[in-house]
Amino acid sequence: MTIIDLAKVIPWIPAAAAVFCGFAAVNDRLKNAAGWVCVASIFTAFALTVGIFSSAVGDLSGGKADHAVAPAHDATIALVADTDDSHDDHAHGDGHDKPKPGLVSHTVDVFPWIRVAGLTADVAFFIDPLTIVMMLVITGVGGLIALYANGYMAHDEGRARFFMGVSLFVCAMLLLVMADNLLLLYLGWEGVGLCSYLLIGHYFKHDVAVAAAKKAFIVNRIGDLGFALGIFLIYAELGSVRFDDILPLAKEMVEGTREIPPNLVFAPYLLMLGAFGKSAQLPLYVWLPDAMAGPTPVSALVHAATMVTAGVYLIARMTPVFQLSPGSLELVAIVGGITALYAATIAMSCNDLKGVFAYSTVSQLGYMFMGVALLSVGGVFHLVTHAFFKALLFLTAGSVMHALAGSLDIRTMSGMGRRMPVTKWLMFCGCLALSGFPFTAGFFSKDLILGDAIAKGLVGPEYWWATVAGILGLAAAFLTAFYTFRLWFHVFSGPERFVMGRGHGDEKRQPISDLEAAMIDVAEEEAHEIEAHGGHHATEPHEMPLWPMNLPLFFLAFGAIAGGFLLHKVGPHYIDAMLYRSTQFMAAPDAPHTYLLGIDAHTAVAVISGILAVSGVLLAMLLFAINRGLGQALGAAFRPIGYVFEHGYFVDNAYHRLIYVPLRYTGYVLAAFDQLVIDWAVRLIGLVPVGAGLTIRKSQSGHLQGYGIFMVAGIAVLAAVVFIYALR
Amino acid sequence: MIDPALPSLLPALAVSLSDAALGHFQATAAILFCLGLIGFVTRRNLIVMFLCTEMMFQGVAVSLIAFSVYHGNVTGQTFVIFVLTIAAAEAALALGLVVMLFRRRRTLDAEAWAQLHD
Amino acid sequence: MQSTILTNPLTIYLAVVIGAVGLWFMMPKGRQNRRIVGGVLAAAALGLGWFGTYEALDFANLGLSAIAFVYYYVFSAIAIVSAVMVITATKPVHSALWFVMVVLASAGLFLVLSAEFMAFAMIIIYAGAILVTYMFVIMLAASAGGPNDPGEDEIFDLRSRTPTAAVIAGFLMLAVLLTLSFDKGNQPNPLAAMPSDGEIIAEVIPNRSADVLRDRIETEIFRFDPSAEPVIHQADPERLSNVEKVGLDLFQSHPLGIELAGIVLLVALIGAVVIAKTRVEDHPEPRPSGAAHPSGHGEADTGAAA
Repeated sequence: MTIIDLAKVIPWIPAAAAVFCGFAAVNDRLKNAAGWVCVASIFTAFALTVGIFSSAVGDLSGGKADHAVAPAHDATIALVADTDDSHDDHAHGDGHDKPKPGLVSHTVDVFPWIRVAGLTADVAFFIDPLTIVMMLVITGVGGLIALYANGYMAHDEGRARFFMGVSLFVCAMLLLVMADNLLLLYLGWEGVGLCSYLLIGHYFKHDVAVAAAKKAFIVNRIGDLGFALGIFLIYAELGSVRFDDILPLAKEMVEGTREIPPNLVFAPYLLMLGAFGKSAQLPLYVWLPDAMAGPTPVSALVHAATMVTAGVYLIARMTPVFQLSPGSLELVAIVGGITALYAATIAMSCNDLKGVFAYSTVSQLGYMFMGVALLSVGGVFHLVTHAFFKALLFLTAGSVMHALAGSLDIRTMSGMGRRMPVTKWLMFCGCLALSGFPFTAGFFSKDLILGDAIAKGLVGPEYWWATVAGILGLAAAFLTAFYTFRLWFHVFSGPERFVMGRGHGDEKRQPISDLEAAMIDVAEEEAHEIEAHGGHHATEPHEMPLWPMNLPLFFLAFGAIAGGFLLHKVGPHYIDAMLYRSTQFMAAPDAPHTYLLGIDAHTAVAVISGILAVSGVLLAMLLFAINRGLGQALGAAFRPIGYVFEHGYFVDNAYHRLIYVPLRYTGYVLAAFDQLVIDWAVRLIGLVPVGAGLTIRKSQSGHLQGYGIFMVAGIAVLAAVVFIYALR
Repeated sequence: MIDPALPSLLPALAVSLSDAALGHFQATAAILFCLGLIGFVTRRNLIVMFLCTEMMFQGVAVSLIAFSVYHGNVTGQTFVIFVLTIAAAEAALALGLVVMLFRRRRTLDAEAWAQLHD
Repeated sequence: MQSTILTNPLTIYLAVVIGAVGLWFMMPKGRQNRRIVGGVLAAAALGLGWFGTYEALDFANLGLSAIAFVYYYVFSAIAIVSAVMVITATKPVHSALWFVMVVLASAGLFLVLSAEFMAFAMIIIYAGAILVTYMFVIMLAASAGGPNDPGEDEIFDLRSRTPTAAVIAGFLMLAVLLTLSFDKGNQPNPLAAMPSDGEIIAEVIPNRSADVLRDRIETEIFRFDPSAEPVIHQADPERLSNVEKVGLDLFQSHPLGIELAGIVLLVALIGAVVIAKTRVEDHPEPRPSGAAHPSGHGEADTGAAA
């Protein structure tokens, strides 16, 4: 029993907590314990994961590849490298003079699951550095969010149900990332989808939440269909669904030592569909903004930090297979880039506190896809840093919302900093990281992606797609900085002004969205709940308590500010070192060095994106803190564009017109057919027994003799059959 | 007096019917039985109904005795004694019940009792 | 020998159909009774049936004397005609009397079969005891009515219930039974498979009480004529009378059955007493209001009018 065997138990700890919370949901005495059990289970899982992580790091530092794991782009600027013979190792300095980093992977069998006619899909865990990174994010960030949720949901009637969903979600997500095969991954994939559905619909008394939950589920079905077909195709072509089999085969095919089955090239496109659905990329992103109808910790955990990154994880895990298929990674990168910019523009004109962060999540997920498609460490790295700062942002947004009794419209908020100083600066940390302000976590990870994109694009014209993606990403980076701080300055600076949710004060304001209306209703219910328990519900905004709400935010803020530096620049470059030892890069070629404007492309891009971020922040400061009049004037000037942005390019409308309405009318036609033709056919059939019954019921006269006749006739027929025909 | 030279009407005890002769007796038995059955079903007088069941017993008795002779085994005749016993017991009880039913409805019409249907 | 069908089953089926039609005509159906037509048809059916099955008879191997078989026809005809009259008579008293004829005729059939004990037992018990009870009840029910008592010829006796369906079902049954009755090869009775009662008794008597039996036969049965030379009977089963055989079988092989029969009779006795003593209610319950049959209330009116 090595420490890696601990992985066997990790997913089942939150599962057990889910069972407990399920019981707690129907037992009032256990109700308050549910949240703490959930938190304890997730942190226990985190502790075990740290144990596995430390053993994996031991592997990293003890092996001969100790110092050779420095990624290519981290080489010194002075190195001279020509792009033409980039594959010739001798042309490079010691940065390239290294063996391929050794693959670290363990398979931990738990129990046999499906073994049918050559198909083997056991419940077994595939532990490699990529998995460990994902597990750390899920359990670490998840635990902090759950801790915060204990305070946030303290007065919610259905809190035990909520924590059951959270525990179950963590279990499913762990299964997803730890799965040894595609089927188990799919199980976890559907499991998180289910939990997402349950958690979005937590406030199931509100139509908005129910509709959003259904929308999320249904949109994900489209993607999941693609994913399932992809699994089928991979099994059909490679004869296995286990990563242990698939990935080495794919590696051999990439390296040309094995022939590629002709149909396998379609598999990445199908998997991509699943990934885009789960991770809310164009064109399947529409569910994520609506998913904000769930409680804010859910938005932080499920729809920012973990579940939506499952698509990124899937592509990272299957990278060797994607490399087989020409055009697939290119498509992923372009879609990621477009989504990043597209969502950023919508976020720019969004006035909904959670909506801004929702679109920003879509946008950041675009970066991640760009990263994994470029075979850059940055994809998963950004996933990690994003988990920290986006969770932080959502939770602080939740604090603001909580303080304002469900109010979500940032235009009605101003100068909240004086009321909520801790929240103000916590959110500031998150905003800095999100906007990619130099030397924050978001800066390092985003810069890594953009740098790899531009650097790859400079290799040659065949890498035009990398350039396109990089430029889209740079543009989005500027917009990100701008809209992030637009929101922050709106909410926290300026004269103090706020409107509490409905029911507090005289001002009856029209909610900006159905979502806000629902949230205000929820806040009101909670207020009643508190008053019913003799508590005092503040009618004015107030700071959140340190325990259990603000304390986890400090950890997240630390991660958002310093996480990137610590992971990427200090020590053995943990994130790079780990990921290069994962299967993600097992078949990846070395990235060449390129130059932009005379200096190393990565450095140049880092400088450019840093400047863009700072200028975005400064512009936002000018327009929304220093001179708000100018901001409003500019807003009015760009009103038509803003209108388009504000309505999400009318994609929802288009979906409504092109898909929903035709389907609905088809449904009417089919319903009419069903009612007129099929129902009547069934009714006619039904008339037969009715008529027979009307005829036969006369025989049920109740007279003994009447029954006697039937008995006699029955015996006669029976005797005739038995004695004359059967026994002859 | 047991006279070994009985008239031919009572033939020797070793008599054993042929198949065809047995068939004739069985046919008579069957006709009695079925007529009793029809009577039981069609007659509406409770007493006549029970009379018809007695007639079915008669058919059974004829059949049993014919088989007894056919097989040369006297047990069939012994069984008729039991049939007779049951018939007597049934007559006693059934007639008592008929009288009771008659007291309740003042009629022997079986149609007056239609409580088997809900 | 292959089992063959003795007679053309079509003849039997034709006879059954004609008989069914005849019986249907004979059924009391209110006013329009064509009982003569029915009687002729039924008689024709019986004759056709016997004519059809006559050819199957092999008088050499009959097992009975030919004269005995003539008696079979006589008694059968009486029994069947009487049975038809039982179920078609419109007065219960007539039914009961015709039933006496059925019992007597079947007793005659028993005699033909040399089952003397059962023949006389049947006459004594059925025609003597049970039928008398029936007659008493009929009289009692007919006379114990209230002031509205309609008398003997109640309307429900004039109108049989669902005659068509009953006749069809009953004759369907009859067709099956008749088919089975004549569904045998035309052979003498082999009697090989079964041990005859002769063997059984020969086996039983020496084991049990051969000497006792012989002593009793010699000393008790024949003591009636002390002057006569006692006939020494061997324990020859062939020579045992029917009564002796039945008695032997009854008490040798079925002692438990006798006890059970006694218990049944005792229970019936007690039950009859209990039922008779139960005072239900002397007031008649109202007829169910939805009685579909006009005879329900009509009988009182008819009776009063009469």
